Amino acid sequence: MIRVKGLCKEFATFDNGSGGVLALSDIDFEVRDNEFVTVIGPSGCGKTTLLRIIAGLIPYHQGEVSIDSRPVVGPGPERAVVFQSFALLPWADVLGNVTFGLDVRGEAKSESQARAKELIKLVGLEGFEKRLPKELSGGMQQRVGLARALAVNPRILLMDEPFGALDEQTRRLLQEQLLQLWERERKTVIFITHSMEEAVMLGDRVMLMTPRPGRVKEMIDVPLKRPRPRDVEKSPAFVEIKEYLWENLRAMQTAQP
Amino acid sequence: MKPMMVSEAAIRTAAPKRVGLSRRLQRLVQHHALEVFALVFGAAIWEVLGWGLALQWLPPFSQVIKALVQFLASGVILANLQSSLSSLIIGFVLSLVFGLLVGAFMGRYRTVEKALDVYVHALFVCPSILFAPIFFAIFGLSDAARIAIIVVYSTFVIVMNTATAIRTVDPSLVEMAYSFGCRERQIFTRILLPASLPLVFAGIRLGVGRAVKGMINGEMLIAFVGLGALAEKYGAQFDAPKVFAIAMVVLIIGLVSDAIVQTLENHLTRWAD
Repeated sequence: MIRVKGLCKEFATFDNGSGGVLALSDIDFEVRDNEFVTVIGPSGCGKTTLLRIIAGLIPYHQGEVSIDSRPVVGPGPERAVVFQSFALLPWADVLGNVTFGLDVRGEAKSESQARAKELIKLVGLEGFEKRLPKELSGGMQQRVGLARALAVNPRILLMDEPFGALDEQTRRLLQEQLLQLWERERKTVIFITHSMEEAVMLGDRVMLMTPRPGRVKEMIDVPLKRPRPRDVEKSPAFVEIKEYLWENLRAMQTAQP
Repeated sequence: MKPMMVSEAAIRTAAPKRVGLSRRLQRLVQHHALEVFALVFGAAIWEVLGWGLALQWLPPFSQVIKALVQFLASGVILANLQSSLSSLIIGFVLSLVFGLLVGAFMGRYRTVEKALDVYVHALFVCPSILFAPIFFAIFGLSDAARIAIIVVYSTFVIVMNTATAIRTVDPSLVEMAYSFGCRERQIFTRILLPASLPLVFAGIRLGVGRAVKGMINGEMLIAFVGLGALAEKYGAQFDAPKVFAIAMVVLIIGLVSDAIVQTLENHLTRWAD
């Protein structure tokens, strides 16, 4: 279980000595094991900062962030991150990128390659093992990013707007495939997004955040049955939650000129 | 007509390798045709001007070639070439090791960069030959003196390029590596080193060029050995064909060492183009 309590994060500013910018203020929430939580909020609400703190990539000074009651002090083998920019090694082929996490941990080459090939197949990139990232489309690149994260067999998947840089068709396709993967092998997922459809489509719960400073406004349950077919978008429950999110996000946008 | 074309096509597909090779050769010649033409044209102009103007400092091209052949036949140039090249290689390798190490630390750690930046820039801008008398005082008339000159010539451009290369590595790659539990050493070997290679190589190529300059300048001004000393000697005798012949040897050293680095670069950074 991921537990965040009373978390505040302040970024130092260099132009004056009088304190910094409060990015996150008094964040409280819990994510249960194998739960899929999507996080949505306008720019500047600190959602990426929150994810990076949970990933152990940046420090926090106040409050509590723990995974199964152990405080987060850095990255750990039970967590893996999928990045918005894909963050693939441009000099390594698909296979080399997917084995990265395993190589770092010093796994035997034959084992890590076998594991990587399995995942490359799972994300539908069989036959592309020897390609370089620049030879792949954005959607394919993010599949590599996903396979790389899954290769280390994490219990927790932290996804930072993973489909944000993709076009609409590719994005929908990847959403469906991510859901299929997740149905087969449930993991705890925190998924940052800008898209209201995506938030409702994927999440068991949607965390709505407000900006300046970043706060959790509300945790919204998504009472849609799983597995979710695509046409769930047309169901009244889906539309209702989406409308509710839009009302809130719209109010936040208009409150800030 | 029709069966002919079919059989022709069959032959073509039957021997794709030979066709490919000769095509490649053809393409190679086509690619370099302009360069070869430029060189031949330049030599011809040189020859004509050499005879036509009859200036003492501009011997015709053919006389330079004659001097070069004489040099090669007498073995004079080979002995000096060997001496020059050995100091060039030692000096350049030292520059490379020092340049890459210092550059990498400057690129990675802000404090190291702040502490050393002013020195590196000062030494880069300062004409390196200014140090000749100092090295002469320290090392005397030895190989160490000219090696030191080469090091001063080529190190700092490598330091600066390496530092910039490391500093500008995509931070999202570093963050990704951290997220998979990389330690600082692994960040260096798995991310920073490969990611910075293209820019680092640009620095190494500049460094090679400067090392060749340093080699000749050092030999002419302090060590009095090798190709530089030879050029100095014939220069004092106003023997222009021989000075030009030596210049051509130096040119070839420069081009060959640059080609070696470029080949290595193409091989290692194929992903970047």
